Amino acid sequence: MDIMLFAPELTMVATGLAVLLIGLFLPVNSKKVLGYLASLGILAALYLTVTSLGTNSLAFYDTLSVDALSQFFKIVFLVVALLFSIAAIKYTEGSAHVEEFYVLAIFATIGMMFVASANDLMVLFVAFELASLSTYALAGFEKKNPQSLEAAMKYFLIGSLSGALMLFGISFLYGVTGTTSILGIAAGGAALAASPIGLFAVVLLIAGMGFKIALVPFHMWAPDTYQGAPSIVSSLLAAGSKKMGIVAAFKVFIVALIALKVEWQIAFAVLAVVTMTLGNVAALSQTSVKRMLAYSSLAQAGYITMAFVVLTPMALGGGILYALSHGFMKAGAFIATAAVVYMVLSENKDAQNPDHIDNFKGLGQRMPVTALSMTIFVFALAGIPLTAGYMSKFVLFSSTIQAGFAWLAVIAIINSAISLFYYAKIVKYMYFLPGEGSKISEPLPYTIALAVAVIGVLAIGFWPEPFIYWAMEAGKVLLAGGI
Amino acid sequence: MLLSLIVLIPLIFAVLTLLTKTREQARAVALVATVAVLLLTVYTYFNFDSTTAETQFEELYSWVPSLGISYHLGIDGISLPLILLNAIVMPLLILFTWNDDRKAPNRFYSLILITQGAVLGVFCALDFFLFYVFWELTLIPLFFMVSIWGGPKKHYASIKFFIYTHVASLVMLLGIFGLYFAAWDMTGTPSLDIPYLLSQYQFIGSGIAKDLIFVALLFGFIVKLPVFPFHSWLPDAYTEAPTAGSVLFVLLKIGGYGIFKIMLPMLPFTASPNLMITILGVLGAVSILYGAFLALAQKDLKRMVAYSSLSHMGYVTLGAAGLVSLSVSGAMFQQFSHGLIMSIMFMSCGVINKATGTRIINELGGLAQRMPKLAVIMMLAFMASLGLPGLTGFIAEFSVLAGSFVNLQGYVVIALTAIVITAAYHLWALQRAMFGVYKEKLGNVVDINGYQTLAMGVIAILILYFGLNPSPVLDMMLTNSEHIIGLMAGMGV
Repeated sequence: MDIMLFAPELTMVATGLAVLLIGLFLPVNSKKVLGYLASLGILAALYLTVTSLGTNSLAFYDTLSVDALSQFFKIVFLVVALLFSIAAIKYTEGSAHVEEFYVLAIFATIGMMFVASANDLMVLFVAFELASLSTYALAGFEKKNPQSLEAAMKYFLIGSLSGALMLFGISFLYGVTGTTSILGIAAGGAALAASPIGLFAVVLLIAGMGFKIALVPFHMWAPDTYQGAPSIVSSLLAAGSKKMGIVAAFKVFIVALIALKVEWQIAFAVLAVVTMTLGNVAALSQTSVKRMLAYSSLAQAGYITMAFVVLTPMALGGGILYALSHGFMKAGAFIATAAVVYMVLSENKDAQNPDHIDNFKGLGQRMPVTALSMTIFVFALAGIPLTAGYMSKFVLFSSTIQAGFAWLAVIAIINSAISLFYYAKIVKYMYFLPGEGSKISEPLPYTIALAVAVIGVLAIGFWPEPFIYWAMEAGKVLLAGGI
Repeated sequence: MLLSLIVLIPLIFAVLTLLTKTREQARAVALVATVAVLLLTVYTYFNFDSTTAETQFEELYSWVPSLGISYHLGIDGISLPLILLNAIVMPLLILFTWNDDRKAPNRFYSLILITQGAVLGVFCALDFFLFYVFWELTLIPLFFMVSIWGGPKKHYASIKFFIYTHVASLVMLLGIFGLYFAAWDMTGTPSLDIPYLLSQYQFIGSGIAKDLIFVALLFGFIVKLPVFPFHSWLPDAYTEAPTAGSVLFVLLKIGGYGIFKIMLPMLPFTASPNLMITILGVLGAVSILYGAFLALAQKDLKRMVAYSSLSHMGYVTLGAAGLVSLSVSGAMFQQFSHGLIMSIMFMSCGVINKATGTRIINELGGLAQRMPKLAVIMMLAFMASLGLPGLTGFIAEFSVLAGSFVNLQGYVVIALTAIVITAAYHLWALQRAMFGVYKEKLGNVVDINGYQTLAMGVIAILILYFGLNPSPVLDMMLTNSEHIIGLMAGMGV
């Protein structure tokens, strides 16, 4: 076994520990260094992951695998972590708890990365919980802000419950098949299909993972948490943590529980339709931009869930590509919102609802870079051509038609059309309504994070070939039943 | 390179325009861009071979090979006249708005340029992916154009336009997907190349699939055109849009272009071609007649012009359904002619509204005394619009009606009855608004300014020129029409 297969994870662990230790000895006003250090560490891990694309290997008694699927999702998580960590340089400025903030985020990312590699349900669960526990603490990071605390509390309670449900489901699988290995469970598929316990486990697992992915009706926590948590933490939750739920569900359902395909396909079809429709319709009437983005995030998860229904290499490739695109778009949108919140709070420390859409009025003049980036993100989310969102939708929706699920594609396309309204509303506020106040200088870290996300969104939009190729490779891993 | 430049210059300059600070800078940048496009287009025109229906000035680069997407541009006798129309009118439109005082001029001109780039992109694209990208791109600037600078009902009108045509585009996208996957299944390689997919269409096995694909694409095009019964966005959008926006709508000839470029080559290979011809014929004839009646009933001059536009678009559909080269080329020429005529008519409505504060025909009167220059130009456009011989409208409508009579006698008879009504509402409106006794309560009305005279005058001269000598654009239309009709020979249509 080659330990260097896990070089990205090791880099992340080393970065995390280094940040924590160095942070202890730094005075508050020089803790900015930690942000640079964390960003560099994440960048190095990202580089190592990208160069390891194409490796196929198993490690640690076959409990972890390194393949196109795991590496692709690690790229998603690291990209989100990178955007998060750059933006956090500004967010944590002047705070005495910079190292905790970064360490929690880095450990959350490590958890997500191990979920992507997990080949055994126990490993998957432990990694899942590592990521979850770290993000619970992050959501409540603003200790004196009741909204943030409420968000964290809700997230924690519901998250723990969903963790318990998942574990319960895993225990049934173990009971029937006698193993926690994903491939072992797949091999015992006949027993699962024959026993009613199999169906029961499917229900529990869908509920457990549905919470993390925020599928309707398991979504109630998401809008409250995304709205209450600090904006850049919301970016990690919506863009990163949600994808962890998706990759876990990919592995558990498409690989381990493929024998019960008929049962969960129907469930996911219903969940996909309900989730995207409710997400888009609820987003229409929101006045808090973070809440609107939270509902739009539901809708996007609904689209990705279509991949479970269609189950062709192209559809899975589309879903996986969508996960990466969504990482850029949604993290970018939340970071842009964070910049606006920063602007509002720096003008008036006690402002209520700093993410209210009224604060976006005239943003085109006041914060031109932020406004332009936000425009690109929301247009990408809406699926306007030549953006990452369009490419992903193009692959995903067209594969749905190819596989004969035209009705599902039609629903998804109608949903896309609806979504354009609330996205266009943000653009209208930024560019066409006059704002109060003068132009202000945009904080550099936010600007850099936004620029990185914009480059990602446009790169996938204009030159999707390599991204589609690797997403399809990742999809093939799933359909081949793992390696 | 040439076509890429024609498409990209407006888009790049749209960004530059956005960065300008004052009205003077914005309009200058926009004028430079549109003149550059005009020069390139004129160069293209003189190097174009109008004796062949082949694609010319082709550009082909692989883009996303795993999905069969390529960057493929090219023009033929169907697209070049429309590109020419757009390239000619756009700089004149900028001149027309030269002295207008409006909020956010940089965004205004930027949206105009984006629309131009998108429309030209649709005409040049030979890959369905690219085609759809540009197709959708036309929607966004026009939506903002109406919703920001529009009239009192701008929000209603812009949303209605947006939903209507966006849904239609999505249906069209489903049709594109259908064609794409049907061809992919047959040949095993993905491709979104338009000529390739059109050539593969005839080999699709299932007749239902063929018809569904055809109808889905057709729906996208006829809503954009529009024809009865999908026209209800048109009067609202055209009327509420600012004058420049109305002219942009008029130049948005992508619906008709889609019918000639994509639907007609597919038509003989559908499972039920006669049914499709009937549908097109009925929609065309009804639009001509119904549009004329609606125009007759309007009190608002601009709304009347908008409905007359619907009537004109009926000729495009009817001519396409006529399926002889005379009617098809006539219908193509109708698109070209309509673009010129309607530009003047909407400009006139805008000028009158600005000068008098009203567009209600009854409240106007005797304007010719105070606005002689406008009166001359406007009268020429109205005469062209009602089909006076010697002007472009006559050539187009005569060809359509004469050509369609070969196969579609009944529909032509219906359409012919509309001619009387068409003449009636044009002349009646002109007489009440422009002639007669001047209504003093309109105040001190001044004539159009120099820039407006120049812009409208040049278009008027072109209407006269192409009315007397249509062959510079009609020849290439005929070549392509004969090519399309040639495809149908032996198909029993």
